[in-house]
Amino acid sequence: MKILVTVKRVPDPESSIKVNPEGTGIVESGLKWVVNPFDEIAIEEALRIKEAQGDVEVVVVSVGVSESQEQLRTGLAMGADRAILVKADRPDTAAVAKILVKLVEKEQPTLVILGKQAIDDDSNEVGQMLAHLLGWPQATFISKLTFAGDKASVECIREVDGGMETIAFALPAIITADLRLNEPRYASLPGIMKARKKPMEEIDAASLGVDLTPRVRIKKMAPPPARTAGRKVESVDELINALQTEAKVM
Amino acid sequence: MIQWSEQHLMMRDAVRRFIQDEIVPQIDEFEHGDTPPYAVLRKMFRSFGIDEMARERFHKQIDAEKRAAAGEAAATTGETRKAGGTAAADAMAMQMIPVIELCHYCPGMVTAMGVSVGLTSAAILSKGTTAQKERWALDLLTLEKVGAWAITEPGSGSDPFGAMKSTARRDGDGYILNGNKTFITNGPYADTIVFICRLDEGNPPAERKVLTFVLERGMPGFEQTRPVRKMGMHSSPTGDLFLSDVRVGKEHLLGETEAVTSRAGTKDTFSSERTGVAAMALGIVEQCLQVCVEYARTRVAFGRSIGEFQLIQLKLAKMEVARMNIQNLVFRQIELAAAGAKPTFAEASAVKLYSAQAAMDVCLEAVQLHGGNGYMAEYRVEQLCRDAKVLQIYGGTDEIQISQIARNLLAK
Repeated sequence: MKILVTVKRVPDPESSIKVNPEGTGIVESGLKWVVNPFDEIAIEEALRIKEAQGDVEVVVVSVGVSESQEQLRTGLAMGADRAILVKADRPDTAAVAKILVKLVEKEQPTLVILGKQAIDDDSNEVGQMLAHLLGWPQATFISKLTFAGDKASVECIREVDGGMETIAFALPAIITADLRLNEPRYASLPGIMKARKKPMEEIDAASLGVDLTPRVRIKKMAPPPARTAGRKVESVDELINALQTEAKVM
Repeated sequence: MIQWSEQHLMMRDAVRRFIQDEIVPQIDEFEHGDTPPYAVLRKMFRSFGIDEMARERFHKQIDAEKRAAAGEAAATTGETRKAGGTAAADAMAMQMIPVIELCHYCPGMVTAMGVSVGLTSAAILSKGTTAQKERWALDLLTLEKVGAWAITEPGSGSDPFGAMKSTARRDGDGYILNGNKTFITNGPYADTIVFICRLDEGNPPAERKVLTFVLERGMPGFEQTRPVRKMGMHSSPTGDLFLSDVRVGKEHLLGETEAVTSRAGTKDTFSSERTGVAAMALGIVEQCLQVCVEYARTRVAFGRSIGEFQLIQLKLAKMEVARMNIQNLVFRQIELAAAGAKPTFAEASAVKLYSAQAAMDVCLEAVQLHGGNGYMAEYRVEQLCRDAKVLQIYGGTDEIQISQIARNLLAK
């Protein structure tokens, strides 16, 4: 079995993000970059399947700038077998999904695991778009994945509004990982040393014959308004009045 | 080497995350409670495959020894290993990175870990028989068991052999051991203890041979005290050892012969301990600098951030100079490993002398820069300051390092 796992390079959630003066994006210089935390969960799940089933190849894939190699290497250090980097300049979610379709056609994986969303843009779209374009079954926001005995189908528990949903479907399929699916491992020392020797293929997005024209245009980016200071009220009546007329929460 | 490689930084980030997740939330428990550091260190070893790597390396070495003992020449099995190279440099770097990162928060943990995995196992690996290595060294290397290395006595620190009172007397085909050891890192919890003493043959103490034995927890007549209170390094338990007529068989004598020269091996051990202090000092200095820069930016006095005052700027600039110097010393150790070389004893002493003093200076200035807050435990620099002091004392005091550097210079 082959599992494709997507890996996105995102700013470290610990770092402080500033919007650039032109309002076209964030200030990227001096930022520390990491693997999207949900993608780490996706990698971990693929590695656990490999450890449980043996004959599984885990391929990590990133679409983005050349430096995404660093994040792919983290995936290799965690235990993935090889990596593919598709070089593309700020593709939108639709373009990423179309690029992934080409990779799926080429690699023929049984399962594609994605993080449910990337913590930079929080779009939460690529998994769903990919499933639609391929016509494959999908389970998003999963917190548990179980293989059927014949390994031809899986059962997933999804975290949905108001509870848990259990769905089963035949493979191949697309799944997206939620926070509680697993706790990702740290890249080990031997893993980091071995990662250097694992294959990393680079593909130019333009060579895939995909329409990369952006469908989404970022018109302006602005930080959320600063919180105004609170104030003391004299009486309960004044408080209720303020909650009704100003805060409009009552 | 002028900077960390991509692999090194990947390792650093992973260890950093582990420390943030597993150690920082419990730091008060480790520093001010009675929770020993071994469980979290074992978890670190398992998480990063450090135990697995140690096991592999150990088995390779033991197999080679056994083949050599069976008369198989190394060359015929194609086992001509070249010293140095990238692998040796990476191994050295990978050893130092967790030390540096742990020292941002808990230098004591490095002491506890280093004495067990480094000092104690190294003593057994350098002088023990193959059987002794298999019996004791592997579990120390993987941190399955905790080790202690006992040389210091109540009356002998800087002059360990000259004033050593601990003795071994022959008793049939074994020995009877007596003596007191003090300031023993991991003493309270150690499973495996390397005990250095003199062979009493009725001859004058100065002429007695130095022998090294391996003790195990719970041997009759062997007492390990509870942790003693000390200035810093609270996450590293320290205790005393008391031996009264502890009877051991010859298999507990390292090398199983009285002919081994214990003092030469001890010098090697001191040397690696001393260069390790540079990595510890780097961690402490990096952390002081980071919290000081943050504080200088945000703390306001007389209507502006204190970082705008030149007296504060001077402190920060000196800290940065110390950081750069110590980092270069660490990089040099990695370069030496790449060249298949080791620092001389005098160089190791110089590295320790400079790094320990620089770390102490930086810590004191970090406390001063924080003013009253610096004196309070909440701001962490007071802990690092207490911890750093021992770098100038253990593994040979500053004064001993100075005399060893000078002796080497004057002998030329």
